[in-house]
Amino acid sequence: MTTAPEDWTQRSRDLAEALSRSALGDRGAFKRLYALSSGHLFAVILRIQRDRNLAEDLLQEVYVSAWKAAGSFDAQRAQPLTWLTHIARNKAIDSLRRAQTQPRTESIHPADDDDRPDASQRLVDETPGPAALLERASNARQLGHCMEGLTAQQRQSVALAFFDGLSHAEVAEQLRQPLGTVKSWVRRALMTLKSCLERAARGDAALGA
Amino acid sequence: MDYARQTLADALAAQYVTGTLRGAARRRFETLLPGHPALRAAVADWQARLMPLTAVVVPEAPPTGTWAAIEARLWPAPTSASPAPWWRGLGLWRAASGLATVAAVGLGVLLANPPPQAPPVVVVLQGTEAGGPAVTTFVASVSGDGRALVARPVIPVALPTDRVLELWAVPPQGNPRSLGLVSAAGVTVIRREKLPHALLDNRNTAALAVSVEPPGGSPTGVPTGPVVFAGKLQL
Repeated sequence: MTTAPEDWTQRSRDLAEALSRSALGDRGAFKRLYALSSGHLFAVILRIQRDRNLAEDLLQEVYVSAWKAAGSFDAQRAQPLTWLTHIARNKAIDSLRRAQTQPRTESIHPADDDDRPDASQRLVDETPGPAALLERASNARQLGHCMEGLTAQQRQSVALAFFDGLSHAEVAEQLRQPLGTVKSWVRRALMTLKSCLERAARGDAALGA
Repeated sequence: MDYARQTLADALAAQYVTGTLRGAARRRFETLLPGHPALRAAVADWQARLMPLTAVVVPEAPPTGTWAAIEARLWPAPTSASPAPWWRGLGLWRAASGLATVAAVGLGVLLANPPPQAPPVVVVLQGTEAGGPAVTTFVASVSGDGRALVARPVIPVALPTDRVLELWAVPPQGNPRSLGLVSAAGVTVIRREKLPHALLDNRNTAALAVSVEPPGGSPTGVPTGPVVFAGKLQL
């Protein structure tokens, strides 16, 4: 089961209320916040930090930090789940630096792995690979439209970096491309996304006016 | 901030949120954030752009004890406010392990990485109620391929209709972790994906226990009802 974009919005309202009450010291509201968001955050962490014990510790740290920083959450500027997800991703990425844990780096492009024909098949019955996730994310309206504007290589680089927490060097190793090439794919992909999303937002504003 | 600096700030914020800004550069960037509102705004914009991507990650329920652990870290209970929970008492384990009928045989299989042809692991959980029938036992075993834990009572357990049995892994320190509900009358198979990592590592698990809970299992994440069976893990 995945989270549809509409659910994300609805859940955001419930989360915003739970978070603002948490900022006032309401422990019950904070427990509600945990119930509403922990499954999502745990999954996000697990994709980056694959050691389950470490991932569980990180999840605890996320909520300890969230409770302490709840007062600094600005509901005018940010979505609560965005805010929480960023805390979770940050901790997961930092844990990679500390533990030097290798994230899964099996190949997701079939062409160059003839001696390991099962690599792409294995992804089918395991958790979906980053590329598959990105394809699903493409159902989100504007983001999806803008994702389609990227080249396959750009999409794949962003997916590996964003979902699985790979560094530029790790993405380069995974895709067997020079580091500089991968860096420029990621950079251009992000800039293309940004200008596309901004265009879309301007378009919406024009329609609404 | 001139245009070139603004572009650089935006590019750094993008790499930061994507996660590709690493190491010393990432730490440096984070120390700049509190003093630079423009940088903070750029980060917030990138978060808003990219975080919806994570909506497609399939949620995964964290282990049962996680919330209790968070509560314990945020609001440590006053030391004398409540009596120590049952699993901290050593008496139970002493009593259980002192009984000649308690056996833990063939231990040593790591669930996470079972060696080929590993023998099954069997833990016998002794009835803990003083007045109860002494012969009552619960058996939990890990299948030979390490993929499942099988639990069953030797004799069906009589329970009120509105009560169920829940199986717990009790760590040396901290709260028990639920392994799920188990049948009072027959065999319950708990799949590997429901089992915590390295369950049979004695740094993680000191004992297995079965408690009586309301329908659906413990509402609090830790055992609430009486513990009716317990068996120490000896590796």
